[in-house]
Amino acid sequence: MTTALQAKRLNLNILGPLYAVVFAAVALMALIPISALVLGSFRDSPPGQPGEWTLENWINLSSPGVVETLINTFQVSGITTIVSMVIGTMLALIIHRTDFRWPNTMTGLLGLSFYFPSFILGMAWIVIGSPGGLINDLARELFELELDLDIYSLGGIVLVMILHQVPFVYLTMRGPVLGMDPSYEEAARTAGASAFTMLYKVTLPMLFYALASSALLCLIMCLEQFGIPVLLGVPGRITLLATQIYLLCRFPPTAYGLAAAVGLTLAGITALAILLQRRLARGGQAVVTTGKAGRITPINLGIWRWPVNIFCGLYLVMGLILPTVILLYTSLTKFFTGNPLHAAYTLRNYLQIWESEGVQTATLNTLIVSGGGALIGVLLGAACSYFTVRHKPFGYRWLDALVMLPFGVPGIVLGLGLLWAYAYLPLPIYGTMTVIVLAYVTRFLPYATETAGSRFVQLDKSLEEAAWTAGASKQTGAWRIILPLSLPSLQSGYFLLFMAFFREISATILIFTASTSVLSVSIWSYFEQADWGMASALSIFAMVMMLIIMSALMWAMPGARKR
Amino acid sequence: MSISVRNLVKTYGSVQVIKDISFDVSDGEFVTLLGPSGCGKTTSLRCIAGLENVDEGQITINDRVVSDGKTGVFVPPDQRNLGMVFQSYAIWPHLTVAQNVAFPLTVRGQKDTASDVKWALDIVGLNHLANRRPSELSGGQQQRVALARAIAGRPQVLLFDEPLSNLDARLRDRTRLEISRIHKELKVPAIYVTHDQTEALSMSDRVIVMNGGEIAQTGTAIEVYNRPVNRFVADFIGNANFLKVKREGDHWQMKDGTRIDVCLETLLNPDEPKAVLIRPEAIEVQTAISQAGSNLSDSLNQLSGTVVSSMFLGHHYEHIVDVADTLVRAHSRSPIETGHTIRLRFAAADCRLVHDNS
Repeated sequence: MTTALQAKRLNLNILGPLYAVVFAAVALMALIPISALVLGSFRDSPPGQPGEWTLENWINLSSPGVVETLINTFQVSGITTIVSMVIGTMLALIIHRTDFRWPNTMTGLLGLSFYFPSFILGMAWIVIGSPGGLINDLARELFELELDLDIYSLGGIVLVMILHQVPFVYLTMRGPVLGMDPSYEEAARTAGASAFTMLYKVTLPMLFYALASSALLCLIMCLEQFGIPVLLGVPGRITLLATQIYLLCRFPPTAYGLAAAVGLTLAGITALAILLQRRLARGGQAVVTTGKAGRITPINLGIWRWPVNIFCGLYLVMGLILPTVILLYTSLTKFFTGNPLHAAYTLRNYLQIWESEGVQTATLNTLIVSGGGALIGVLLGAACSYFTVRHKPFGYRWLDALVMLPFGVPGIVLGLGLLWAYAYLPLPIYGTMTVIVLAYVTRFLPYATETAGSRFVQLDKSLEEAAWTAGASKQTGAWRIILPLSLPSLQSGYFLLFMAFFREISATILIFTASTSVLSVSIWSYFEQADWGMASALSIFAMVMMLIIMSALMWAMPGARKR
Repeated sequence: MSISVRNLVKTYGSVQVIKDISFDVSDGEFVTLLGPSGCGKTTSLRCIAGLENVDEGQITINDRVVSDGKTGVFVPPDQRNLGMVFQSYAIWPHLTVAQNVAFPLTVRGQKDTASDVKWALDIVGLNHLANRRPSELSGGQQQRVALARAIAGRPQVLLFDEPLSNLDARLRDRTRLEISRIHKELKVPAIYVTHDQTEALSMSDRVIVMNGGEIAQTGTAIEVYNRPVNRFVADFIGNANFLKVKREGDHWQMKDGTRIDVCLETLLNPDEPKAVLIRPEAIEVQTAISQAGSNLSDSLNQLSGTVVSSMFLGHHYEHIVDVADTLVRAHSRSPIETGHTIRLRFAAADCRLVHDNS
């Protein structure tokens, strides 16, 4: 047995050393921030400063403040998940199961709102719903009403988070709804069930695994959500776990140790949810999709047509159109006023963007981090999957686990971990772009391994073996056969990573410096300084850029379109 | 050129899938590994190809040791100079037919591949499709591309892993002939893995019947068909009836006392439990009416039984006959009604005693 193992390893030629390098890189990327966080949680001083070992931070977890935060977090995440699941699944069923008139438009617009950055959505809704915002202002001015609408509340946070999560639920439920074997539904109809009885008694129960798995992923994203709860919660004094970490590190009196303990708690909760989700997803694969998606008779909406149309329209208005229009409007006004007839219009903000050196640096940084970082991420992820899926060398299960490990760590916690880590390590990368790329790649590596891995699994073993028996070494086989055959998936992985990196803020917010600022952080800074005009203009600028790059990537890479 | 396998052992976890097998394939010989799924035939082939390493034993190709369990020698597949055809064709969809066939050449650094590709494609008759994509080809054409690719690099050894099992019956017949022809042209040792007895019998110089990780019998097609060494081989190759018999004095008889005369050369180890093998096509079926004119001779066994079912199979009828609680299959050109009592006659020379090992 040992000889077999040795031979298998030697057999990898150049791939052997590559495996070692990939393994080491992934292990370091995952373990450094997490172990630094663990160490940090037992320190009574900020990173890099002399201090003592202490258990205080962990004891403080039971303080009323932290407990209330925990309860808030679960409340917000729970309600958001439930409502988003209902709305998202309804949209998937409406679009793909009924004779809804505009399925393609709706899918396209939902896809677009999926890429709408959460913190920009939060900002837009502050402009819309804060005490000095659009709705209150308009009511006061036009109807002399004091609405006292306040987005800085638990309800406000939940509302915006739902708007943000719905496209995700829709996108995850779309596949299972489309892939369902129609014969089950047809059997129900022929057995005498009405369309709605069928939906209720057959379709939804059959989607159970997909629903549960999607709900858990949604819950994880809510738990990790940073931009929305910070923007809306801080002014309203509502703290969630992610917010608390930020506040503990950003505002005096800082308590980095306690932040680390809170971060580890949050990471523990999300990790648990991920484990559960993976188990569910594995169990559910066989149940729902048989892969022979057939044509299915759409359910006739009948008298429900207009309520359904209004429902879909309402979501699009609140989740995509209104926020965009508001940002555009705000970016074009000198001072914010709810009534567009009284506004003083200006292009000042856009001119300022054009002239600002800070914005130029941030734009360039964003492009480098997203473009280059995504490339590094895809290559590393593809290498990981190539080994874990196709060769299964010694220790490949560990590699797989190490890739997944940081996925359970929310961005802000990862940022904090890196903050702690580079205080201890004598590496000259603190405050460089490298740290940011490192944080992003670590956090989103599973995106790349999953897209590449799903393709590698599909490729029959004999395709590679045929190359070997034809005289190709393992690396030649990988290069000339596996790589070209999985290019579409790698492109799709690149697209995913690029978009994720472009929007990311939670992992950056604690580790950026003036010279390594990215666009998301710049927008954030303007907003923190209450410069709504500049923040909006920069948001519009960033989103237009994102759209252009998105189209360019899709045009250049056929594989990216599959998303 | 030759292949030699010595004391090959292969274990997956706690399961020994190949238990100490040895065989040789000489230059220009076509040898088939035949057996049911899980018998270790494909694993043996993969060990020879270098797609699996051996746990024990030694494999030599052209007197060069390519795998050795003891010394740990392992030559990777790309350095064994093979041509291999896979069950799934394994034609690369991103390359054209010509590029697929040229792969074994370009991968060795050969620049001008046009004439070699043409040679290989001419042999399988696909030159007119050289610039097509594999997705535009039928299954049979794809398998011929795989054949052309396997021979393009002028390999020292040809390996086939159930290459015909994904083709429909008619294509299978045609491609079978093609493979035989190509092998004769190349004159290299070839090993062919299959679970299909027709393929094994029709193509091979020698058939190696495998069962449970061991070699059950080695011989020419005629030998393994006509002189199977045990019940497994007899059952796996062709249709077979088995009559349980006991030694009674100087002859063998069934449980009900019916005497069965058997081929004399098989009378070895008379003490072991035995069964008499008789192929359905060796049995003459006699209905009561035609019985009158028959002339009985001593060398002919006779059994009578009741017809349980009679089925039309195109070329003949197959009857299942209950003979003293043993079901016997027999063929004839005309139907017989169920419940009829009929007589089965067969020559002693067609009755072989085999170990009753199942």
